[in-house]
Amino acid sequence: MNLAQFSANKEVTFIILLIIGLLVFATLLFFIWGKLKPKANLIELKLRTKSWWTMATVFILAIVINPIISYFAFGLLSFMALREISTISKNVRDVDRRVMIWCYIAIPIQFMLAYNGCFNLFVIFIPVVMFIFISFMLVIRGETTEIGRSMSVIPTQLMLTVFSLSHLAFLLSLPPIAGFNAGGRGLLLFVVFITEINDVFQFTWGKLLGRHAIIPKISPNKTWEGFIGGVLTTTVLGYFLRFLTPFSEVESLVVSFVIACAGFVGDVVVSAVKRDIGLKDTGTLIPGHGGILDRIDSLAITSVVFFHIVYNLYYS
Amino acid sequence: MRGILLFVIYQVFMRNFLRILVGVKYINVAELNKHAQFILVANHNSHIDTMALMSALSYSQIKKTHPVAAGDYFGSSPLKSFITRLFTNALLIQRSKNAEGQNPIQAMSASLVKGDSLILFPEGSRGEPQKMQQFKKGVGLLLKKHPNIAYIPVYMTGMGRILPKGERLLIPFDSYVVFGEASYSQTDDTEAIVKEIEEKIIALGVAFQKSKFE
Repeated sequence: MNLAQFSANKEVTFIILLIIGLLVFATLLFFIWGKLKPKANLIELKLRTKSWWTMATVFILAIVINPIISYFAFGLLSFMALREISTISKNVRDVDRRVMIWCYIAIPIQFMLAYNGCFNLFVIFIPVVMFIFISFMLVIRGETTEIGRSMSVIPTQLMLTVFSLSHLAFLLSLPPIAGFNAGGRGLLLFVVFITEINDVFQFTWGKLLGRHAIIPKISPNKTWEGFIGGVLTTTVLGYFLRFLTPFSEVESLVVSFVIACAGFVGDVVVSAVKRDIGLKDTGTLIPGHGGILDRIDSLAITSVVFFHIVYNLYYS
Repeated sequence: MRGILLFVIYQVFMRNFLRILVGVKYINVAELNKHAQFILVANHNSHIDTMALMSALSYSQIKKTHPVAAGDYFGSSPLKSFITRLFTNALLIQRSKNAEGQNPIQAMSASLVKGDSLILFPEGSRGEPQKMQQFKKGVGLLLKKHPNIAYIPVYMTGMGRILPKGERLLIPFDSYVVFGEASYSQTDDTEAIVKEIEEKIIALGVAFQKSKFE
């Protein structure tokens, strides 16, 4: 899509301007807040906003300039996420080191399938083909002590990073739907924006009203107030952003609600993995956000859920 | 000419390869640029260690920085020795005590007198992955001779998984190079200097792990 086409696509232009506007707002808010109340501890919030600028810029550029860049960007993102999760995981034995190479080889294959739109192969490649293949490769290594643990951990890592993010790329390969302008790009922007803003909403409501922890052992910051407030706000926002999708009014409400809940699920699943290892953040790549996994934790679940909702509603 | 070659290998190719594909991350790398001449002292787990440290250097530093390597391993044949020296700018020394020829400390000292910097791995060999071995006293002898040259302790973790000893297949893992504050040796006692450096590297490791784990 060149720039002329881009500006012709009003829906996509609008959401991109909205994202930039929100970031400008957040930056100004924390700047003024910091000036008015110098004592307030805003370092983390400021770092987060700064990171959002970088991530949003990369994401928007990848989407606007050329769709092929998006496939590479999501491929690289899932590669780095897989590297991160395989580094922090203490459950995998030293002899399994070499098996990881097959997981990395699976990344370009999975994204090629997404690019070519081979739906049937795409959905089974990691959960079925790689699942069997990795188990077999582990057996070939010849060390059976605790092999069952490796057989479950390694495919799960692949599912949480590569399989989930490749669904975002596949959205761009979906054929056009009659009477719907924004296309795969609109769907992609919708799910990523709704997921990330849902994180922000749940975080904000939790900070403002949070009293009752949902799962105190795993995530003390996740409260009922934050969860309910976040889900409701996200659902309302999703209703107003439905112009990015082919959804009817009711569909947009239901889908946003489901994404908001799925985002929470992804968040606590990755949190639980971190608790198991005793880790604060999964990495240091994104300042204020921990690692890549900390940012894509909710996306790891919402991308798959959203993709299959769209696919079942409009393509089957 | 050699400077350009090293620049292309490390600043252009190796640094990006290590950061993007392998997953090496640098912490407090700015410490390196504060000093014209230094001795980098690091723990050692993998061949990646040398590559990672060389990639952290700037163009003007890389020409004048030599990783100190075992001559009996990397210089076992004239060809191997030539390749090691060309591609890593290494200073090859003899590890065994009864070796004929130059004293290893003298060779390193001569290079410092010329104004060059050194990269030292006082553990000697890479050892078992992710385990630190007792430091050898060479670094203490060297710093005792050159108390005016700053040493920078470096803690590295994760390299032992990327390419452990005896492995040929490189697998990406997140790994970290943590630079400590530069300092000068305070005493004349060789063993005390070695111990001080060893403790500093261990402390860097502890502080780093603490920042990651609750």
